[in-house]
Amino acid sequence: MYSVILTEFGIVVFKDEKLEKAFPFKDAVRDYISVKKKESKLNELVNYLGPLQRGISVSDESLMTLLKKNSIDAQMMEELELEEIQSTKPQIIVDSGFAKNISEALSKLREFAMGLSSSKVTEVSESPDLHIIQAINSLDEIDKIANGLSSRLREWYGLHFPELDNIIDSINGYSQIVLAGKRESLTKKVYEEAGFPDSKADMIALLASKSRGGDISDINLAIVQSIAKQILNFHDLRKKLEAHVELEMETVAPNLSAILGAAVGARILGKAGSLKKLASMPASTIQIIGAEKALFRSLKTGAQPPKHGLLFQHAMVHAAPRWQRGKIARAIAAKAVIAARVDVYGEGINKMLLEKLNIRVNEISKKYETPTERETRKPELFREHTGESRRREGGDFRRREGSDSRREGGESRRREGGDFRRREGSDSRREGGESRRREGGESRRREGGESRRREGGESRRREGGDFRRREGSDSRREGGESRRENKNYRERTDSKSNKNKKRSKFERR
Amino acid sequence: MKEDNFEFFWINSDGEKKLATENLVIGNQVYNEKLITKKGTEYRLWDPFRSKLAAAIMNGLEIFPFKDKSSILYLGVSTGTTVSHISDIVGPSGIIFGVEHASRVARDFLDRVASHRANIIPILQDARKPKEYFSVFGKVDVVYVDIAQPDQTNIAIENCKMYLKKDGYFFLVIKTRSIDVTKSPKRIVEEEIQRMEVHFEILQVIDLHPYDKDHAMVIAKFLK
Ligand SMILES: C[S@@+](CC[C@H](N)C(=O)[O-])C[C@H]1O[C@@H](n2cnc3c(N)ncnc32)[C@H](O)[C@@H]1O
Repeated sequence: MYSVILTEFGIVVFKDEKLEKAFPFKDAVRDYISVKKKESKLNELVNYLGPLQRGISVSDESLMTLLKKNSIDAQMMEELELEEIQSTKPQIIVDSGFAKNISEALSKLREFAMGLSSSKVTEVSESPDLHIIQAINSLDEIDKIANGLSSRLREWYGLHFPELDNIIDSINGYSQIVLAGKRESLTKKVYEEAGFPDSKADMIALLASKSRGGDISDINLAIVQSIAKQILNFHDLRKKLEAHVELEMETVAPNLSAILGAAVGARILGKAGSLKKLASMPASTIQIIGAEKALFRSLKTGAQPPKHGLLFQHAMVHAAPRWQRGKIARAIAAKAVIAARVDVYGEGINKMLLEKLNIRVNEISKKYETPTERETRKPELFREHTGESRRREGGDFRRREGSDSRREGGESRRREGGDFRRREGSDSRREGGESRRREGGESRRREGGESRRREGGESRRREGGDFRRREGSDSRREGGESRRENKNYRERTDSKSNKNKKRSKFERR
Repeated sequence: MKEDNFEFFWINSDGEKKLATENLVIGNQVYNEKLITKKGTEYRLWDPFRSKLAAAIMNGLEIFPFKDKSSILYLGVSTGTTVSHISDIVGPSGIIFGVEHASRVARDFLDRVASHRANIIPILQDARKPKEYFSVFGKVDVVYVDIAQPDQTNIAIENCKMYLKKDGYFFLVIKTRSIDVTKSPKRIVEEEIQRMEVHFEILQVIDLHPYDKDHAMVIAKFLK
């Protein structure tokens, strides 16, 4: 009977409790991992075992697979034998000649554990999905910063040229004009270079000539201009990040990317933590990822559970009429898990997934063409606690959103709807995006914060976080509230929309 | 609990008696805890708001099987706050196998705790697969589980079967606020204990309030 034992420092062959031969690893951690991953060649061992052929039992499944691959007839040891090995491991290591005595064996074992753990940590930080997550988070951060800066820019430069604010929506265009200098030095060429059509250029020129803004000193202008420059830089960086995320998603998670789109896919990935984790999630979780807060609220109050979280940003979901969205989100989530699984195994793109999803979404839109009963009844429920909603009925949703939040979070809010985010998708997507950040972000932060706090606030990561959290939390809280208000409002109009053609058109926008 | 033991200490600090362990690595701080030297011995204050084991001691833990030379299997070490104190207690001849699967916290654990303390063997593995642990040898005196997983009792049983000595002790942290808000904390603890009773003899259940609002600690013996 030969026992082939995998130890941390090499593979050893025992015959009837006595060492026959040891095959030490050159680099313990590396070689051990390579056996575990079933990638080792093990030539020497195979040559040695080859002639024996019978009565070979092995202590490790990976090792057994490797031997079988080399047509060596081996079998797994019995539980009892394995337990014996486990409990006498330091002795085995000494007997195999890998350590002089037990105490050296112990310290070598620890050294090995440190090495193996470190290499695992390193390996994980190298995995591409984690880098995608960092990239998409950077992108979202940049949006936040750029939007904040741009509203500052509009206010500051607005002292000098207030009329510009209302005509130019795009953050980029505005910044380019600011870069050109004072009102007086703005020429038609500047507007053209900023990409405005002739008619608009004329209009700006006209407004500039009769502006009621005050003068701005050179020093002040210089600062305002460097803010504008920063915004343009951010804009470039954002474009790069966007392209980068897209490319990376297509390489690392092509199927997920096809089903969810690169940006939404990356954000969902971020929420899950990694591609592997996403692949092992139930579809129902993915469906509401990013709506954790709503989920908890529904558990607590018995309110309806959320139908979608981050997935609201998905084109198919937000383009659909309200009553179909939950069903579509579910269909997408179901395909997304499969996509993530295919991607984990790196099997390349599977076109069927997207085709099937399209078919399913078509089915849903046919089958549920008209709102369900419950949906049509809903307005009654809401009428009870409106009062406010009456005032809100008229007029345009977006503007109201702006004004509401302006009340709460300062003028910046409106600008958030500006160029940066809209480029990514429609307004509704933006809304989804915000609520995602609010809901998911907060809950994650709370969780993370909790354990981290318990673990010790010494972490560098946390210190960095603190600053931001301190700064951001107030506005987030305020913004969150105003948004919640909006959301209610939205639900109300939504339910109205079922009765009212005009509304529903507006909703579908 | 008696105050004169050798596992942990009550040290005067800011006019109060505070829980502390004797620092195994002189000068080494893990989570910004205060270091106090008395009669040539350095102690680390053990913050019950940071460590659930310390909270359990504050709230009347009756059995303390962590001793000099003990061997411990600890599931869910996270960044190692609690483990660092157990490391102080079991001393240079004790051993702690610390299992953690999240590499993000594990990095901090390796840098700040495991690399300074020779009695800790870090194991980056999923606690659901105890067979895959490397470098664990022999059976341990205590299995300590703080992994915050819904199936933690099953995970714990598997680990105890493989690695806990007969009559060894078992510590389990239970989250008392679950996703299911309709359940009261008391019910959650009771349900968890019911699940455990087949395999364990429950010795004590400790609410960790006010140090930790959402957790309780169950101390048990493993029966198989
Ligand atoms: C609440 S924290 C533990 C805090 C730590 N015991 C202390 O008191 O300092 C829970 C830890 O368990 C880890 N964990 C969760 N599931 C796990 C599993 N299946 N295997 C290993 N570790 C796990 C988590 O990554 C997390 O770091």
